[in-house]
Amino acid sequence: MYVYALLFYAFLYVPIIVLVLLSFNDAQVMGFPLKGFTLRWYGEAFSGGRFMVAIGNSLLIGVASAILGTLLGLSVCMGLRYRLPGRGVLIPLLLLPIITPGIVAGVILFVFFGSAGVRYGLWPAVLVAHVTWVLPFAFLTLYPRLHRFDQSLEEAAMDLGATPFVVFRRVVFPLIRPGVVATFLFAFTLSFDEFIRTLFLVGSQRTMPVQLWILIQEEVAPFLPAVGVVIMIFTVSAAALGFVVSSRAGRLVARSEAGRPLVNN
Amino acid sequence: MIYLACLSLWTSTAFGITSDWTFKNFETIFSEPVYLRALLRTLRIAALTTLLSLLAAFPIALFLSRARARTKAVLVMLIFLPFWTSYVVRSFLWLPMLGRNGLINQGLMALGVTDAPVDWLLYNEGAIYVGLVYVYMLFMTLPIYQSLDRLDAKLIEAAGDLGATPLQVFQRVIIPLSLPGVSSGCTMVFLLSCGAYVTPQLLGGASGLMMGNVIATQFQNSNNWALGAALSIVLVAVVLLALVFAARRLGLMNIFMGAR
Repeated sequence: MYVYALLFYAFLYVPIIVLVLLSFNDAQVMGFPLKGFTLRWYGEAFSGGRFMVAIGNSLLIGVASAILGTLLGLSVCMGLRYRLPGRGVLIPLLLLPIITPGIVAGVILFVFFGSAGVRYGLWPAVLVAHVTWVLPFAFLTLYPRLHRFDQSLEEAAMDLGATPFVVFRRVVFPLIRPGVVATFLFAFTLSFDEFIRTLFLVGSQRTMPVQLWILIQEEVAPFLPAVGVVIMIFTVSAAALGFVVSSRAGRLVARSEAGRPLVNN
Repeated sequence: MIYLACLSLWTSTAFGITSDWTFKNFETIFSEPVYLRALLRTLRIAALTTLLSLLAAFPIALFLSRARARTKAVLVMLIFLPFWTSYVVRSFLWLPMLGRNGLINQGLMALGVTDAPVDWLLYNEGAIYVGLVYVYMLFMTLPIYQSLDRLDAKLIEAAGDLGATPLQVFQRVIIPLSLPGVSSGCTMVFLLSCGAYVTPQLLGGASGLMMGNVIATQFQNSNNWALGAALSIVLVAVVLLALVFAARRLGLMNIFMGAR
């Protein structure tokens, strides 16, 4: 059992370690044997500004679609807490983008924007694609939090004369804030990593994964591992942050469920 | 709401484009062996990938569920970590592993097993399996682990006290109780593998073309949108069929919530 576990983790991590090693390897060919340490590939990866532009694009699109996806996800969740007619149909429809193969989603949007005469590019084509991609995940992360949420708190606030907006701002939002932050970060990593939909819609512009893909297709250049490592660092740190925030959020919700007053000013 | 309206609009747009051509394109797909073979190859690769992931993930999920709390937290975290990065990067990782100058070839040569790098590691169906199993491993491991983790250790003890052999415990207690996780994992991996594009493109070479790659070609090179759309619809139909089948037995939310 232990041997198997060791093998399994080796399967997961050896390729990553290899990539990191190769990103520092002083050789013209991507591969072994290792020939010495260099930071040249990181320099080369960032030279010419193409990568900085791609990273900038990815960050902007990531933040924009995370904001929109989280806001839309939140409003859908708020709405779906009530017994609306057709609720049973709405949830599967909402989850449709998750199971739609990425390539098909890319094609659908490509054809849609193409026939609608919208220019391919980051704004708005890629943004729309990313929001539709991120939204169902935002919904899935937020929904359980709002679902477990004690509605008597809201009712109490209403009874005390709070307007719906005040109830949301002073009661609901503070309680779900950690969940919202975690959703935002999760949505950001999804968008930052998104590739196939973007590839169809991005036109001549570049995001980080698309840039990496195009370079891989051109030639297996020695600086590719460095690019991969940079992408990994970005997404893993955002995801790790999200993980920490959401586990803290989990504890908060557990506490409020245990009946301890959490609502403060 | 706006989003939902848009979604229905997009879908119907795609259908609208194909509707004039429906018969011709679908006829092409089902009469040209190229497309039929790509479809069958996709289904075969997805099925085998699912099976391989299941075989690889089950023991580790069992191991994790039996680990002590502190170790468990760290080990589960370590399963998550590689999946926080793009699948483009995760597929790309296998190029420097399997390539001519890759770890495996150079390792074999250093050990004196072979004199020249072997070429059959990369650009074939085998490499696709390695890549897809790697890329989607989390979606299999996590739900199985969650099912097994919920399993009460007392049940296993009770079975043992009642005289069941370890094998019987495994067959009669552990396997049945892990089934929700197993089905959720298998559904996710199968669905994801059906739509794979990046991994076969990078690792599969010409022999490994799956539906995703064939569809992309229609839009990128051949410029045959109608045929591409028809192919997409066939792929979606396959995926939806698999999903409906799974949702019947599992419930839709369980598939997704188990898989997250």
